[in-house]
Amino acid sequence: MQEIMSLFQIAKMLRALLESFLPDQQLVDICMSLINIGAIFTIISLSAVVLVYAERKVSAFIQRRSGPNRVGPKGTLQSVADMVKLMAKEDIMPDGADRWMWMLAPMLLFIPAAAVFVVFPFDNKAIFADLNIGIFYFIAISSQSVLPFLMAGWASNNKYSLVGGMRTVAQMLSYEVPMVLSILGIVMLVGSMRMSTIVAAQEQVWFIFLQPIAFVVYVITATAEINRAPFDLVEGESELVAGPFTEYTGMRWALFFLAEYANLLAVSAIAATLFLGGWNGPWLPGWIWFFLKIGAMIFLFMWFRWTFPRLRIDQLMSFGWKILLPLALANVIITGIGMYIYEFFS
Amino acid sequence: MLGKGLLKGMRVTFKTFFHKKETLQYPEEKLTMPARFRGGELDLNTEKCIACGLCKMACPNHVIEITTAMDDAKKRHLKSYVYHSGLCLYCNFCVEACPTKAISWDKNYENSRYFRDELDVDCLAIAKQKLTKTISADDKASAEKDNTLKGGILDE
Repeated sequence: MQEIMSLFQIAKMLRALLESFLPDQQLVDICMSLINIGAIFTIISLSAVVLVYAERKVSAFIQRRSGPNRVGPKGTLQSVADMVKLMAKEDIMPDGADRWMWMLAPMLLFIPAAAVFVVFPFDNKAIFADLNIGIFYFIAISSQSVLPFLMAGWASNNKYSLVGGMRTVAQMLSYEVPMVLSILGIVMLVGSMRMSTIVAAQEQVWFIFLQPIAFVVYVITATAEINRAPFDLVEGESELVAGPFTEYTGMRWALFFLAEYANLLAVSAIAATLFLGGWNGPWLPGWIWFFLKIGAMIFLFMWFRWTFPRLRIDQLMSFGWKILLPLALANVIITGIGMYIYEFFS
Repeated sequence: MLGKGLLKGMRVTFKTFFHKKETLQYPEEKLTMPARFRGGELDLNTEKCIACGLCKMACPNHVIEITTAMDDAKKRHLKSYVYHSGLCLYCNFCVEACPTKAISWDKNYENSRYFRDELDVDCLAIAKQKLTKTISADDKASAEKDNTLKGGILDE
């Protein structure tokens, strides 16, 4: 069961099927990579639909409500209805907006959010590009999403948008430092930045047990990186209306939304890969384990969102620089000393 | 310890996650209003009403319109009882003023109407309708037992 249902086997079967009627080997390769890209985009867009529903249900349950329950069985078609509504909406551009920047920002935001999915090991040998700098690639690409936020904020010609955009830059840049340092502990233990090697190293022990502090720091910084509560100052509706998204309508706004949930999925997938053992797990096929772990992480992030109140901007900054950064640095040092002691005794 | 409050908060929200839902699925399920709820239309009991007009006098907005008529024994009878609910401020003075407790609130909170005229309620007609309805419902039960009772009640 575990062997037959693995993504690698499914891909192999698909390749054999394509080879049976495509003449050229190169053509088969192109088709396969197109199928892989299609699968990744399907995951991103499907996850946005599912996660919106999940978020509304989780928020409702935490507030003792029952959440969406009218459209479709148990309200499962609610996000489909919302999507149709968003597509039908009028596209309004504010007066005095920086036209090209304003139109580019949501699209540019979506690109890094989708590009990071290249290095995720969904299953054994099921990884689009197993780069030798996999985790570095993730950090480098995901940090690109700072700029579109600022672009959107600046181009909207609106003070709320601009303040929101500035806050995004400040927040995401300062939380990236402890995030990288928390990941560094894992990279030190494994001695490689290749995702498949990191997952393979966790076959016996998950890194959450070896690097608990790094996990805590990672979860906190990841919450800040994807601008979710309690770090959602960017779009704090009580002060900034909706931050950089204020002036966007319809599908443009939906792209922001899509990128937001793609980012949530991405950081959860990284947490599952680095700390929770990736696709490692008994009985079930690897990709089911991977998605179960992602689901657990996403629930954790949603749980945070509906429990904690929003931080103030100065609290956010001082927490990032004065607590998380020293903590992550100390973790790196302790990991180094621990590794040295371990090598000394063994 | 730092962060203890965060864990406590998370425990609370996790508990409520599995708590019974408080939502009332409104159009299907409806709230029963408490005894002191004031709202809806006036429920007139024609058997108790002595047509004294005190409710009309008590009303600060002249919401209640009554016409009465004397019979041969110089006893007043109700000819019409119209309640303009659009003007009512639900102060409850009319209900308090009634010496025989003939009027009460029907505790209905779905008061929106399409037209203004529909806000004027002919309480007497409704009361009579209700009376015949309850009687016919009683009839069905009692008719099987006793046929002689039927005519007597309807004539009154």
